[in-house]
Amino acid sequence: MSVATDIEERAADFLMRRGEPAWSGEDQRELDAWLDASMAHKAAFWRLEHGWAAMDRLAALPPQWKSRQPVFPLLRQRWKIAALAASLLLAIMAGGIYRSFNSSAVQAKFATLVGANLTVPLPDGSEAQLNTASAIRAEVSGRHRWIWLDRGEVYFSVAPDPSKPFVIHAGARRITVLGTRFAVRRDGQKVTVSVVDGRVRLDGDGPASGVGSVTVEKGGIAVADGGTTLLAAQSVESIERRLTWRQGMLNFDQSTLGEVAAEFNRYNRRQLVVSDPTIAAMRIGGSFQTTNVDAFIRLLRDAYGLRGEESGEQTILSR
Amino acid sequence: MSAENSLNAWFCREVLPLEPGLMRFIRRHWRDTAEVPDLRQEIYERVLTGASREIPGHVPHYVFMIAKNHMINRARRARIIQFDVVADLEAVVVDADVLTPERQLSAREELQKVQAGLHRLPPRCREVIELRKIEGLSTREVAERLRIGINTVEQQTTHGMRALSDFMLGGTGRIRRPAPKSRLTRGQGS
Repeated sequence: MSVATDIEERAADFLMRRGEPAWSGEDQRELDAWLDASMAHKAAFWRLEHGWAAMDRLAALPPQWKSRQPVFPLLRQRWKIAALAASLLLAIMAGGIYRSFNSSAVQAKFATLVGANLTVPLPDGSEAQLNTASAIRAEVSGRHRWIWLDRGEVYFSVAPDPSKPFVIHAGARRITVLGTRFAVRRDGQKVTVSVVDGRVRLDGDGPASGVGSVTVEKGGIAVADGGTTLLAAQSVESIERRLTWRQGMLNFDQSTLGEVAAEFNRYNRRQLVVSDPTIAAMRIGGSFQTTNVDAFIRLLRDAYGLRGEESGEQTILSR
Repeated sequence: MSAENSLNAWFCREVLPLEPGLMRFIRRHWRDTAEVPDLRQEIYERVLTGASREIPGHVPHYVFMIAKNHMINRARRARIIQFDVVADLEAVVVDADVLTPERQLSAREELQKVQAGLHRLPPRCREVIELRKIEGLSTREVAERLRIGINTVEQQTTHGMRALSDFMLGGTGRIRRPAPKSRLTRGQGS
């Protein structure tokens, strides 16, 4: 366990016992001595004391108040309305709302430009986070929850609702969810599904697709391309490492420079070009801000002695 | 007011409201999320040590300079140096968005936030905190009321206390349990 966690636990223990009837002068001296021993102890204790004091506001509530009864439903209702309003607003910004031909449900379009990142709250409480250069259409109504992934990559956090499966159409594939967190990436007809929590089902889209059904479990990755689907079990940690774009970071572990450059190129207008195969095969590890190509080029210069030559919207990497 | 009391008051008034921005800053520039609470703690320690000699003028600037320098030092000392982390941090100009302290909440807003934080706790933990803070029961009384052990009450109280403090200071408000140590070390490549 970390030093900071140890200190915080000790501080919480002191703070809890200090409020007890059994707290003695001896205890107080022990606390004082502990606080005097280090500024780190003071920082942890004062921080908790401050946060815990805010809890005293609860004393203003009547004793029969219990959070098990629905807590301020009004507020949550407002939240939903606000989320819906926000999603509609975004929809308007993203290109407008129109009625689809075969139902009365509203279809909303959302899209991101290169390098952008957009979180869209859906009316059912689910959330979609769009990565760079991505586009979806969403139709979420009282009867169904349908998403079309037109391009790019999206992380979904799906509110559980067994009566209305959450269905994503990605090219020739269909992904069915009951309530989970996962990402779908589409490169043309290649579809990659990475599941952080829960499970999803991956089918061919439409009855004539002739593609079998595959269930992807927590920590699993499925890559579907043409008629084949590849399923790999991984740790949740490694899945989450693949999804650090959600925090604006790219993470590489022993990837080749060619692969790293291709990833960067998804997020930036300025494209990295690695034509020399010996350079493209170099192994790179590290974490980088998705849009900070300059820092990456600087690292390549300082650590690996490579040159970056600019030419229009391209940077050509060479020795 | 003793020097220590005024340092405590200064810390709560000027530094803690910066925590949401500080946490965003640390997360944005640090790879291993398991180390984020350590970094926060170490930064606060340095902030207090400096301020105990002289209370600084522009607090946000002071706190983020300490954060940046501490992270650079720590990244350099690491067994596997992440060149990119150091390079990124050295180049960073602290953005305006992280420098803005949290807006002071009104009493009513604060009560709502407290309730929202309570709502995020697991049911047993929430019940213990409610009995303590709303009904003002002691550990022993809570244990008797719920027919559970004193140890359990103590544990739930400290878990809840830490999660709620975190939530009030802009965190997720989830209980952090000691996790088994399983950190991957990743090389810088050749």
